[in-house]
Amino acid sequence: MTDDRDPPEIPLEPFPVYRQESPFPPLDDGLTAGPGDPWSDRNQNVDAHDLPTRENRLLALGRFAFPPDPPLDDEGLAARDRRWAGRTILVSAAFLLVFNAVSPLNWSRQQAPSWLQGTIQQISGVWVGQLAVFGVDMPRQGVREAWMAAREMRFAGQEPAPPAP
Amino acid sequence: MLFPTLVFGVFFLFVYFTAWSLDRENGRRKLFLLLASWFFYAQWDWRFVALLIASAVLNWGVGALIARQPGAKKAWLVGLGVAANLLILGFFKYYGFFIEQAGDLLMRFGWERDLPLLQIVLPVGISFFTFQGISYVVDVHRGKTPPAKNLLDVMLLMSFFPHLVAGPIVRASDLLPQFDRAPRLTREMATYGLLLIVWGLFKKTVIASELSVSLVDPVFFDPSAYSGFDIAAATYGYAVQIYCDFSAYSDMAIGLAALLGYSFPRNFDQPYRASSLQSFWRRWHISLSSWLRDYLYVPLGGGRKGLASSCVNVFITMLLGGLWHGAAWTFLAWGALHGGVQVIERLGRAAFGDRKVVPTVIGVLVTFHVVCLGWILFRAENFDLAMAMLQGLGRVGPVTALTPLLLTLIVGGLAMHWLPPRAIEGVAERLKAAPSVTLGLLIGAAILLVEAVRPEGVAPFIYFQF
Repeated sequence: MTDDRDPPEIPLEPFPVYRQESPFPPLDDGLTAGPGDPWSDRNQNVDAHDLPTRENRLLALGRFAFPPDPPLDDEGLAARDRRWAGRTILVSAAFLLVFNAVSPLNWSRQQAPSWLQGTIQQISGVWVGQLAVFGVDMPRQGVREAWMAAREMRFAGQEPAPPAP
Repeated sequence: MLFPTLVFGVFFLFVYFTAWSLDRENGRRKLFLLLASWFFYAQWDWRFVALLIASAVLNWGVGALIARQPGAKKAWLVGLGVAANLLILGFFKYYGFFIEQAGDLLMRFGWERDLPLLQIVLPVGISFFTFQGISYVVDVHRGKTPPAKNLLDVMLLMSFFPHLVAGPIVRASDLLPQFDRAPRLTREMATYGLLLIVWGLFKKTVIASELSVSLVDPVFFDPSAYSGFDIAAATYGYAVQIYCDFSAYSDMAIGLAALLGYSFPRNFDQPYRASSLQSFWRRWHISLSSWLRDYLYVPLGGGRKGLASSCVNVFITMLLGGLWHGAAWTFLAWGALHGGVQVIERLGRAAFGDRKVVPTVIGVLVTFHVVCLGWILFRAENFDLAMAMLQGLGRVGPVTALTPLLLTLIVGGLAMHWLPPRAIEGVAERLKAAPSVTLGLLIGAAILLVEAVRPEGVAPFIYFQF
């Protein structure tokens, strides 16, 4: 389907009422077209879509039992986008809570000692330890080791990096 | 509370979900965002929240008076409003500098005096929120924006935490109309905002931090200990560092605001692609350069009175732009360099017209190196260190500071200027159709990569000091 308009010479009816030139060459055995219906038999007011069709009963029952929601208005669309954004942020946060679990532990170690700092350090310490059993800290660790190796690299003939304090 | 920290992440999650739970009550939502912004600012120094409130009340009052007064009194009021804002800025930012200079001057003439030196703490972001206050008062006077409907709007305009401490300078005409209606969050805005935040995190915590710690800081601290090659690398490194640092803050600010439903103007547009200094200032810190143009260069007369006047005005504007960055002679020299080169460019255009005299590649290279020369003045603590850097450029010796990783970061930081323009928007456009779980995992994985390579802790953004 394209958005192009129909050429003006084609009538708007669903079925063309004139015979178009066939793009194919005529058949060799010389089939002859029988006499078509007389023009007077054609009814311009009839549409094939008007023919009665039987609906699937199961679908009809489903539509009765669970009627579809009305289309969303602007407010509904906005709420849907907000929910989508909220879910995206929550999924990211959950992902980081698992794969970057060491971050709260590192943060708590940098804070001045307090009840809150101690609590966060203990909880995050347990969390990191439990997750390490499943190896979820390995991706972060692997990337970090590769980065540290890249930091240590030197040009040919250059002195190696001094040892970290 | 810096953007790329865990504490800010928790703070923003709370603000995000609470703000959107109040989306049917725009007034309460704005009040909540204002309180959250004050809490954010109080993490530096809670006493300066009072300064922020006083500044907002002052500008709101002057704006309201301007709207009610007839013609002649308006000019007085706008002058009063601008003077009051400059007084606040001048006291906190320039008092010590000018008193020190006055003392030196008096001593030189033999009139030594004990001048009242004060240890004044510079409130974070004061240059940004006072400039916003000035633009509000002047725009109301010029009729570019109607006065805010209430004090809450002006307070939130000046205190909104994404732009509060290091810009971009969002004008009243941009933000006040957005405060009038309940904001909407579309998939485009959310995806764009999230991508900008991740991109900003990468630029700040990986590129800028690594270059700063391993190359720029040591070389600028003691240039005499390094070879010319290291000094040149540190200069290019600083050009990349300051771009990645400041544009990262702007990106994250724009992204955070987008997630809360507000749109901020773009602040950077691949500045090192510029083939002239005029073009550079159309791409670097756009909100400041357009502010200087509208509220300083144009009132001075702009280019209306001929070439000579336009050259003088652009030089004064850049000089004051330099002073805006800090109370030091090195910043003035930086402003003078940018102003002087722009004057030369104008004279060149007057002589040769719009004919392309220099090929674009040469223009880009020359402009970049003029900018780098300016960055030496900008970064050096004083003129002696700046001169030591320049003299050291010719020193032959082994390369000790530059490593393959740092070279990659410098080249990568420059190469990102040749990405397709609006690349982030393009990626966001493609990703917005993704399911939330897919995008969430992608964003999480990107942040994990950044977290894995970033150094422990994070240095404050360079522009916080301004």
